[in-house]
Amino acid sequence: MLGKLLKYEIKATARTFLPLYLALVVLTIITKILISIALPGTVLDSTSGSNFEIPLGISMTVYFTIIVALSVLTLIVIIQRFYKNLLTDEGYLMFTLPVQTSKLILSKLIVGLMWTFVCGVAVAVSIFILAIGNISVMEITQGINVFYSGFQNQFGMSPNMLIWEMIILMIVDIVASILMIYVAIAIGQLFNQHRIMAAFGAYIAISVVIQILATLLTVIIPIFGIEELINSQTNQLKVIEIMINGLTLLNIITAAAFYFITNYILKNRLNLE
Amino acid sequence: MEWYIDSDRPIYKQLVEQIELRIISGIYAPGDKINSVREMAMEAGVNPNTMQKALAELERMGLVFAQRTSGRFITEDNKMIEEAKNTLAIKEIDNFFEKMKQLGFEKEEIISLIEKAEEDNNANSKS
Amino acid sequence: MPILRAKGLTKKFGNLTALSNLDLEIPRGRIIGLLGPNGSGKSTFIKLATGLLVPTSGEITIGGAAPGIETKAMVSYLPERTYLNDWMRAEDMIAFFGDFYEDFNRIKADNMLRDLNINPGDRLKTMSKGTKEKVQLILVMSRDAELYLLDEPIAGVDPAARDYILNTIITNYKENATVMISTHLIADIEQVLDDIIFISQGEIKLTSTVDDIRETHNKSVDGLFREVFKC
Repeated sequence: MLGKLLKYEIKATARTFLPLYLALVVLTIITKILISIALPGTVLDSTSGSNFEIPLGISMTVYFTIIVALSVLTLIVIIQRFYKNLLTDEGYLMFTLPVQTSKLILSKLIVGLMWTFVCGVAVAVSIFILAIGNISVMEITQGINVFYSGFQNQFGMSPNMLIWEMIILMIVDIVASILMIYVAIAIGQLFNQHRIMAAFGAYIAISVVIQILATLLTVIIPIFGIEELINSQTNQLKVIEIMINGLTLLNIITAAAFYFITNYILKNRLNLE
Repeated sequence: MEWYIDSDRPIYKQLVEQIELRIISGIYAPGDKINSVREMAMEAGVNPNTMQKALAELERMGLVFAQRTSGRFITEDNKMIEEAKNTLAIKEIDNFFEKMKQLGFEKEEIISLIEKAEEDNNANSKS
Repeated sequence: MPILRAKGLTKKFGNLTALSNLDLEIPRGRIIGLLGPNGSGKSTFIKLATGLLVPTSGEITIGGAAPGIETKAMVSYLPERTYLNDWMRAEDMIAFFGDFYEDFNRIKADNMLRDLNINPGDRLKTMSKGTKEKVQLILVMSRDAELYLLDEPIAGVDPAARDYILNTIITNYKENATVMISTHLIADIEQVLDDIIFISQGEIKLTSTVDDIRETHNKSVDGLFREVFKC
C-alpha cells in the first residue's frame, strides 16, 4: 500500500515541478552559452563580448529566479500536499482508504524528502555546469585530492566518515523539518476554527520550545562536566564528530516525537470539516 | 403498462394489486415466466425486498407459483384468474356505488345514468 | 451477523453532544434510509462508521470489527462533498480506486460512465459539480462492498440522473450487503427503502419499515417525517 501511495504522491507533485525543472535545464543551457560568448578569453575576443552582456544579465537573473522559485516551490508543495490532500475535502477519500494513517504520513514525508533532494542536486549540477568552463575538471580533481591528503595528514584518517556523518545529519535535519511542518498542521487541525492560523501558531510555538531546549542543553552540558569530557579528547576531530552525531541524535529524537504526535492526532483526533 | 405507486399506502400491497391487474388483463399470460425479483424491482422502481414480499403474497394467493430451479410463473389455473377478475370487478363496483351514494344518488338513478352514459359513448365512437 | 452494530455510541465535540448513547443493529441485505433534519447527527454517525471520527464513548463495529483498515475495505462511502483529486481525469480516479480497493469493478465503472455520457478522459477540474458527483457515485457503487454509506446521493443531481442512481442502487442489491442512505429528499427515495431510521438531536426517534409506517399511519414516510419534525 505504501508503494501505491508513493506512486500517486509522485504523480500529483511531478506535474507541478516538471515544468520548472525543465525551465532550469533550458536556462542553464542558455546561460552557459551566453557566458561562453560574453566572457572574455573564452570563445571569442572581448570586442564581440560586450554585445552579449545584456542578454547574459537577463539570463542570469531569470536563472537565479528559477533557482529561488524551485526552493520555495519545494517548501510550498510539501506544506500544501499534506494540508490539502489530508485535511481538506480530499481527506474524505484518503482517510477512508484501507491504509494505515502512518503510511499516509510516510508517503508524503518520503516524497517531500525526495523533492528536496532533487532540488538540491539539480541546483548543484546546474551551477557546476555553468562553472565548469572556467574551472577545468582537472583543477577540481586536483583540489579534491589536495583536500583529502591534507586532511589525512592532519587527522590521520580519511574524511569519508566525517562526510557521511554530515550527510546523515543533513538528511535527518530535513526529515525533522518536514515533520515539524506536519505536526504543526496536525495540531492546527485540533481547533474548530482558524485551523491555518492555529497551525502557524503551533509551528512558531514549537520553534520557540526547540530553541529553549537547545539553550538549556548548552547550560546542561557544562554542568554535567560533559564539556570537559569533550575537551579532554585530544583529537579535535573527535570533538567535531561528537557534535555532529549529537545533533543527528537530537534531530532523530525530535523527528520521532513529531511523527508520533502527528500520527496520534490524525488517527484519534481527526475531524474533517 | 406503467407502474403506479402512490405514496400513502404500503408499497407491497400496491405491487400485489398491479401485478394482479396485469395477470387479469392478460399482460402476463397464464403460464408465463416472470422476470427475476431484481428485474421486476427495477422496472417498478422499488426495493427488491418489497417486490419479493409482493411476489410471496401472490404465491400465497395462488396467482403465482414458484418452481425451485426455474423461477416464478403465472398460474395456468384460468378459474383462479377469473375469480380474481371478478373479485376485483366487485371491489371497483363497490367503490363506485360508495362514491355515487356519497353524491346522493339512489340505485335506479345510478343504473339509468350508466345506461345513458353507455349510449353517449356508443354515439361518440360512431361519429 | 449484522453488518453494523452500535452500543452506547456517543460523540461529543467539546460541549456539543452530536450523538447520545446510540444503540443500533443493522442487518445485511437491506436498503435503509437514515432520515433527520440538519444537525441531527446523521453525518456524525456515518463518519463514525467510516472511521473518520472516533467515538467519545461506546462502540461501533462493522462486521464485528472496530473501524480500521479491515472495515474500510468493507465499507464504500459517498460523502456529501466532492473528495476527488481535481487534477486527475475520470479514468485516473478509476485506476486509483482499482489500485486501493480489491473489490472494485473497473468494467462496471466504465460502463456507468458511458451510460451517463461522461468522457473518461475529461479532467475532473473541468466538470460541473453535478458531473463530479456522478463520477463519485459511480466509483462508490462500482465496489462490491458489504456496507454502502451514501450521504445525500441525489441532492445535487438532475431528475433523470436521480432515477439512474436509484436504479443502480436497486440493481446493485446483494443479499449480504446493506445500503444506508442519509438524506432529506425522502419522497424521491422512499420506494427504494426497506427500513427507515428517524434521528434527531443525536438520538434515534423511530425505526420501522416503510410499509409498516404507511400501514400504521396511513401516510408516506415523507408525510410522517414532516409531521414528526415540524418546525
